[in-house]
Amino acid sequence: MGSIYGQKYTELEDTMRSIVDEIGSIREIALSRSGFDPIEHISYRIKTEESMLDKIKRKGLPLTTESALEAIHDAVGIRVVCAFINDIYAVRDHLLSLKNCEVIEEKDYIRHAKENGYRSYHMIVKVNGSIYVEIQLRTISQDTWAALEHHIHYKKDKTDMDKLISAELKRCADELASTDLSMQTIRDMIEKNRNEQEQAG
Amino acid sequence: MKILLAEDTKDMNRVITAALENMGYDVCSCFDGGEALEHALADSFDALVLDIMMPKKDGIEVLKEIRSRNIVTPVLLLTAKTEIEDRVIGLDAGADDYLSKPFAMKELLARVRAMTRRKQEYNTGIIDFGDLSLNGETFELKCENSIRLSVKEFELLQALILNSSRPLSARFILDNIWDNADDATESVVELYIQYLRDKLAAIASLVSIMEADDGYRLVKGNRS
Repeated sequence: MGSIYGQKYTELEDTMRSIVDEIGSIREIALSRSGFDPIEHISYRIKTEESMLDKIKRKGLPLTTESALEAIHDAVGIRVVCAFINDIYAVRDHLLSLKNCEVIEEKDYIRHAKENGYRSYHMIVKVNGSIYVEIQLRTISQDTWAALEHHIHYKKDKTDMDKLISAELKRCADELASTDLSMQTIRDMIEKNRNEQEQAG
Repeated sequence: MKILLAEDTKDMNRVITAALENMGYDVCSCFDGGEALEHALADSFDALVLDIMMPKKDGIEVLKEIRSRNIVTPVLLLTAKTEIEDRVIGLDAGADDYLSKPFAMKELLARVRAMTRRKQEYNTGIIDFGDLSLNGETFELKCENSIRLSVKEFELLQALILNSSRPLSARFILDNIWDNADDATESVVELYIQYLRDKLAAIASLVSIMEADDGYRLVKGNRS
């Protein structure tokens, strides 16, 4: 049996590589400009055959390459973990400025956290008019919360105990978000001081 | 609200209990210091009214014992003695107020109200301001999004909300929120104001903190 991705697998890999390289160049530009590396780490993957097939079935789509590449938009997934909140928006702005990337969808779960406390910036772009790429941008804290929440994998919401646990997970998310903002405020203050000193000196 | 009353004179005990209950308080009436201490340790109250002269343990002993266990419930002492020395000992042992017998019931009720008011105002539940909702129990700040504040951030925002009709100077903020601690300077206030500004922006609130020569003031802002 052939791949659900048909003959497109190499193109998926090349597209993923080109976006990852593009993000790498954002790092270099930022480093040379301000001395800060806005990105902590990047991870990326092409969805495995197995989970793509699962997803197609779950959505009741025909088992075709078209379903995998046109109806579903996360065959290629890239996650960029940033140091500070503002870095997320800087990376986003850079991606928006790319000529070969067309933005299909943007969801700002940082400004509007999900009910459970999840925070992240999601965007789907179409590269070179053909391949969809899902990009998730988040801070270290947001990544930590998502990873730990995934480990707990708490989905029930029926008993009082379930409600308490859900509320506590959300509280942790809100506390981490608060810390993220405080760290941003501190960095801004340091930068402001440095600029003032440079101007004075 | 629950009040613990310890008074060994039966008639007096009955009259005070009836007056407090009439004002809507739940009253736990005791007739000696031993019983009072037992209840004070086993249960929680919004205020204690203790007679000084009582069998088994006097009011001062009860007071000292509960304070040594870090129970900070407001205490009103009742005393037949009018000597200054007794009042001083009582207040130094941790009483919040005293009343000399004989007293007018009206005054006792007013003092109980005064003592319990502070705690009531402090635990203000949820405070709303503009598009904001600030929860005094969880320190959650909500608008379009929600966030948890630190203790100092909460106290600062609460002060700004409750005093939004006038500007608060950095000095006032330091005196009242940082209790004028040695390491607290105006730059601490500036930093915490900035924390709050960034957090207000992060939850997409229109509320902002204005700064003028005479201090900081919270304004509601308009949806444009």
